[in-house]
Amino acid sequence: MNKKSLRLFSAEVAMGVGSLFFVIPCLLLVLAAFKPDSEIVKFQGILPKQWTLANFQEVLGNPEEIPLLRWLLNSVLISLSTATLVLTVSSLAAWAMARLRLPGKPLVYRTVLATLMVPGQILLVPIYLLLNTLGWLDTPLALIVPAAGGAFGVFMLHQFFLGIPKDLEEAAALDGCSRMSTFINVIVPLSRAPMATLFIFTFVGSWNDFLGPLVFLDSLERYTLPVGIALFQTSYFTEYGLTLAASLLCTLPTFVAFMIFQRQIISGMAASGMKE
Amino acid sequence: MKPRASGWIFAAPYLTLFTAFVVGPLLFGFALSLFRWELLSNVKPTFVGFENYAEAFRDPYVHQALGATLRFVWMAVPATILLALVIATGLNAVAGKRQGFWRACIYVPHLLTVSVAGILWRWFYNKEFGILNAFLRPIGIEIPWLSDVAWAMPAIVLMTLWWTLGGPSVVLLSGLQNIPVSYLEAASLDGATPTQRYFRIILPLLRPVLLFVTVMHVIGGFQVFGQVYMITRGGPELSTRSLVQYIYETAFNNYRMGYAAALSWILFAVIAIFTLVQFRLMREERS
Repeated sequence: MNKKSLRLFSAEVAMGVGSLFFVIPCLLLVLAAFKPDSEIVKFQGILPKQWTLANFQEVLGNPEEIPLLRWLLNSVLISLSTATLVLTVSSLAAWAMARLRLPGKPLVYRTVLATLMVPGQILLVPIYLLLNTLGWLDTPLALIVPAAGGAFGVFMLHQFFLGIPKDLEEAAALDGCSRMSTFINVIVPLSRAPMATLFIFTFVGSWNDFLGPLVFLDSLERYTLPVGIALFQTSYFTEYGLTLAASLLCTLPTFVAFMIFQRQIISGMAASGMKE
Repeated sequence: MKPRASGWIFAAPYLTLFTAFVVGPLLFGFALSLFRWELLSNVKPTFVGFENYAEAFRDPYVHQALGATLRFVWMAVPATILLALVIATGLNAVAGKRQGFWRACIYVPHLLTVSVAGILWRWFYNKEFGILNAFLRPIGIEIPWLSDVAWAMPAIVLMTLWWTLGGPSVVLLSGLQNIPVSYLEAASLDGATPTQRYFRIILPLLRPVLLFVTVMHVIGGFQVFGQVYMITRGGPELSTRSLVQYIYETAFNNYRMGYAAALSWILFAVIAIFTLVQFRLMREERS
């Protein structure tokens, strides 16, 4: 027993030391946001010698040049719409393919599955030209609609739906439910967990997407947070204080959301093992 | 029940989007790769057959970008898998509530979006006032992290490890937790030492998860873009410019759409070859 508690203790110490590598850079970001520029461009210690809110005031007080809140709003709207659209169309399609007897189903499902292994970059150029033709470039549609063609949601929910006992749906059908109302009243309540996982995944993926908005968006007030922040590197290259304060502000919502949904995010990750 | 076509109505919205934004662009992209297709120029799109592919094989920038991408995969993926395994094992050894705390600590960097993470590490790596050199200078070392060809890629890999390790660690941890306790107890009763248990029972049972994580990270590694773009922009001397960055620049800085489409099919082929090889290795090892 003594040996076991020693092992437990050493594991704990090792985790404590190891996690410093992950946590310290994040703390440095927080601390640096409160430093005056002079302390950032000349290392004078980890803690700010002189705490200041000037960086935040300047970042937030200049919405013409730095529309940070606008970018935040764009990010929220785009990620929410993408996740909602993906969840709606994928769950309907996955259910039809898992349950309904449809002519030609195996071929269609296999085609959808095959595209899972296609890297997104291969679609970048043709989709750009397509969006250009549709006139969707530099609009939120460019990021929301194409994402809903992705196969991951259909694949994931299809697997889950196959595991739901058929009796429930048959009972609902006998009671005179239409297929749509069976789906809404029987399937959706049973599938809350995987649907929440898909929603969160799609939301996070869209929130962090970098290449998409970089290529498809063009004007300052339409950017999402990641691309807006990236712009700092070129425009405010020398003003690290501003850049870091903006970075901290744009991480806060993610951090709060993670604190609330930590269990779902981590168990969803562990279950699917998908990572960008 | 007879198969009924009317059920397709449920799948119709998805399949429309799938056709318009996946299958269509895939086919269109391949066709595009056979054309000389330039935006913002007066040259009309002309069919050139496989000339774009032939050009890619001759293009020294493609060789360089492919080399940089391979170096990234080679440096980042084995380290990621090994460290994630160590972290997952450590987390698994910690009991109860505190496991969740340490797990969250390790996951936290991934909450930073790529541009924030990139800006932060670019500041750490700054030769004059970066925190890394600030601590190295007293012991007489000053590393030109981002301006030296030898250091730039390792610097990007180090940042990537910090940024992404949380994901595979969590996946491997859940793999470890799925191993039935009875197996380990039986081994202990038979007199297996903890080391033996780890290498003879735990690792073999973890293999499917390990291989899955490895394949996913190899695929992801070949698509590296964001952190390179943010930290070095592909420099110094283009030594860290990845294939995806080269595709991006070809398409959206030089507007050579046909050539960029061909390059992305080449990237796809490279990824597919590596994925197939890994599956093959997996199968041979099993039999």
